[in-house]
Amino acid sequence: MTMTRRNRPNKLMIGVTAAVCLTAAACGSSGAKASSSGGSSSGSSGGSTPSGGTVTIGDSTSLSGAIAQLGQTGLQGVELAVDDLNSKGGVLGKTVKVVSADDNATPATGASQVRNMITSNHVSALFGPVSSAVAAAQEQVSNQFSVPMFFYTSNDISLMRGGDNKYAFQFVPNTLMEPNAVADYFAKQATGPIKIATFAPDYSFGHDTVNGFIAALKRLHVNYQLVAQEFPPLGATNINTYLSTIVDAHPDYVFNAQFGNDLVSFTKQASSFGMFQKTKVIAMYDYDALAALGSAVPAGSIGFDRAPFWAMPEVSSFVQEYKAKYNAYPSEWAIMGYTAVQGWAWAAEKAKSFDASKISATLAGATVPTIRGNITIQACDHQAEIPEYVGTISATPDSQYNMRLYNSPVFTAPFSDINPACGASS
Amino acid sequence: MHAFVVDLVSTLSTAGYLFIVSAGLTLVFGAMRVINLAHGSFYMYGAFLVSTIVGASSGARFWLAIPAAAVAVGALGALVEVTVMRRLYRSEHLTQLLATFALLLIFADVGLRIWGTRARTVGNPTPFGGRITLAGATFPSYDIAIIAVAAVVGLALWVMLTRTVFGWKVRAVVSDPEALATTGTNTNLLLTSVFVLGAALAAVAGGVIAPQTSVAPGIDQAIIVTAFIVAVIGGLGSVAGAVLGSVLIAAAETLGARYAPNWASTLIYAVLIVVLAVRPWGLLGAAER
Repeated sequence: MTMTRRNRPNKLMIGVTAAVCLTAAACGSSGAKASSSGGSSSGSSGGSTPSGGTVTIGDSTSLSGAIAQLGQTGLQGVELAVDDLNSKGGVLGKTVKVVSADDNATPATGASQVRNMITSNHVSALFGPVSSAVAAAQEQVSNQFSVPMFFYTSNDISLMRGGDNKYAFQFVPNTLMEPNAVADYFAKQATGPIKIATFAPDYSFGHDTVNGFIAALKRLHVNYQLVAQEFPPLGATNINTYLSTIVDAHPDYVFNAQFGNDLVSFTKQASSFGMFQKTKVIAMYDYDALAALGSAVPAGSIGFDRAPFWAMPEVSSFVQEYKAKYNAYPSEWAIMGYTAVQGWAWAAEKAKSFDASKISATLAGATVPTIRGNITIQACDHQAEIPEYVGTISATPDSQYNMRLYNSPVFTAPFSDINPACGASS
Repeated sequence: MHAFVVDLVSTLSTAGYLFIVSAGLTLVFGAMRVINLAHGSFYMYGAFLVSTIVGASSGARFWLAIPAAAVAVGALGALVEVTVMRRLYRSEHLTQLLATFALLLIFADVGLRIWGTRARTVGNPTPFGGRITLAGATFPSYDIAIIAVAAVVGLALWVMLTRTVFGWKVRAVVSDPEALATTGTNTNLLLTSVFVLGAALAAVAGGVIAPQTSVAPGIDQAIIVTAFIVAVIGGLGSVAGAVLGSVLIAAAETLGARYAPNWASTLIYAVLIVVLAVRPWGLLGAAER
């Protein structure tokens, strides 16, 4: 073998390997584009609170790639909340500014971004991200530097009950509340023996959600039989084999832990497979998924949503304002992002300080006025006491939104019913 | 029997769109020795354009939307070739990679500006809205449409490369561009044409897969990794290799899902490693000069 023959393919291999590495690492690798909707910041994360000047908050979340819809609309909610605060004189007399960054759904990136926000931008509070893995990494940083952190999209229960939660707050129903709510609703519909299949991406969120749902069915004494359980790899494009296995098992319901684009793809392909002739789906059919699917959404299936604006009359004026600014209806992420900022601002005003310990002590157990009404923050784990919304997908389009939503009334699962007690094992 | 039919159809339809997208990638590499990561962007733009043209209700217009998207993305490809790629032909592979990676990111951001972040869907085109039952197995009839489109594309490429002057020149430009230039061939125009063809193929693949999935940001990066693996396994530069590579990867995905679901995603990388270890230039590729 000559040198040239040996060298060239190797060189090519290095190139190809680099290509795959680059792209795999990419997943929206526009990491450095930390955009700022404000200039420099004179706010400090300490306790001094002279009037005037600015206070900066940071939001590192997923702004590109497959989950960009969640991150972008959530950030819009945060920014709108800040606009509204500023139009009323800011917080503690300071104008609030937002710095944001794209975490690429990568924990290391998200963590270094919030560290940078703390050391360079001197942020007084952190908001975000979409992925719970990123959230766990950011929570550590927020704890290290004593900066309060508000989650409004990532919802893993371990974020609040795992240890580093001193300065962390959860403004989204956690991973156990959600399946509990769905099981409560389902138990009311279900009669006789029901055949259930499950479908979830093969990572912790998928397994946790499925296990939570099954455990809740057991607790509610639902007469069910598990006929198939499929865990395709996260991001699998070819799901025909999984679908055909499920169709062959003839379930009455498929509990699906996917969300967003993956759920839309699943529904499209399942429909092509004829799954909906005999089977209904239980999944996070939120407004965005329903809008994307249009008439392809299976009627009679059970959907859940963490904050469906169309079923929440209390947020109607916020919806108008949001629509006027962004020319779209607010996602649940936008509503929860807005609410989280309100929680932080209320606590800072009440504590007369941006200091993390004071904000934390003020918020724990407090009841905060928000666009959603008064929300209590559970003292033991800083979980906002908010409900989960569940409903049956209608067969006809809603007259106001001209798309299929849930049959009314939408079931609003009360926090007290679905909240796993603090101290119980998670 | 019935599982076999489902797996066969699933393998072939997956292989179908993988072939279309990786054929474009491998064709461009074959003629220019450039690994074009922005190929994923062309694929995503094809899918988005088709969804824009036909909307959620697809009908027969879909079959016009595909060539329309191919032409539009092909034009974008011409622009990219003339302004960026032409300056890279003599660079190192790594430089080329970084440049096309930059393009991928830029196009992703531009895509977000144009189409937003919300997922879109494309309905199944007529007459492929229903299902087919064969030997007790039921599968979507659109799978057959994907296989048919891939077969037509593959046949057309084969005829073009082996039976036309253009195809002869494409093969000649790889081995000896200087000699080809002395025959009076405008090699710049030739390379632009190949790049346009590659971009158009990516757009066709994106459009063809659109009814089966959700069209949303991120599909550019998801496809480019798989397309690369297919092209590398088959042999970069070899269109026949792209056929083989796409069938292998589709079979690994499908059978992996059936028999070893926990290993399905690892399996395609295992195939890649084995092929690279045994034949670094790919199954049907030639060792680079």
